[in-house]
Amino acid sequence: MKTLYVLYDERCALCKQLKEWLLVQRSWIGLSMIPAGSARAKSMFPALEKIAGANDLVVISDGGEVYLNNHAWIMCLYALAEYRDWALRLASPLLLPLARQAFETLSKNRQTISRWIGSDERAIATELGEVALDTCPAQSTKPVGVEGGSKCSGV
Amino acid sequence: MYIVYSYFVYLFISVNLTIWVARTLHKRGAIFLVDSFHGNAELAASVNHLLVVGFYLINIGFVALALKTEAVIGNTRAAIELVSDKIGYVMLILGAMHFFNLYVFTRIRHRGNGTPRPPFAPDAILRPAPARS
Repeated sequence: MKTLYVLYDERCALCKQLKEWLLVQRSWIGLSMIPAGSARAKSMFPALEKIAGANDLVVISDGGEVYLNNHAWIMCLYALAEYRDWALRLASPLLLPLARQAFETLSKNRQTISRWIGSDERAIATELGEVALDTCPAQSTKPVGVEGGSKCSGV
Repeated sequence: MYIVYSYFVYLFISVNLTIWVARTLHKRGAIFLVDSFHGNAELAASVNHLLVVGFYLINIGFVALALKTEAVIGNTRAAIELVSDKIGYVMLILGAMHFFNLYVFTRIRHRGNGTPRPPFAPDAILRPAPARS
């Protein structure tokens, strides 16, 4: 696995912000950010429509492995030098449903990590359960002709 | 004359021991290094050779420095004790160097293999795999 293609929602300002964050991190695996639904995405992954809906965050490896939503968030962290250990930890059944919250918390505040080091899964889960996810502010400005996008799912 | 014989015996054993250890490391460590460097055999061979050169320099240097003694050797027993003493030190240093090398290799190897598999199976597989762009 040398490259991960991250199909993010370009209409979402928050997603674009997270995309910028991803791109400045040191990573083990190359990250290639592709706007979901773009011509490039469609030409690269013509068969993707059958697998993922318009609202799914999709990460695809160069080997063709497709990861959706929570798995995709974790895979983004897995690609990063500093966050791989956390990706492995956040993949536990208790924390996986909170992957999105975890990703947002980690990307906004590095201090979180030091606080989590001693904590057990349950404590982290409780904390993540309280994270409020911003709704996508760009929904209303979605370009004509692009389907989906009712909720912010891309990076 | 005991002291001169002692020195020769000491040098002979220590230098041969160093050569034997260096060769063993060179031979048996090769595959370990290739793995550490992701199968890059040329780089592994180069590092292996450089390590052996460093190993010789350090160990033979130490053997030479440790040669000198103030002890007065009057009989065979004292001579054997002196040689044994000196060789003991050399072996301990060789052993320490050996484990240090292993430690460094293992660190390199861990870094190289720092690719634990993704924590879950993919949700789907795209066929054909995406073309590089």
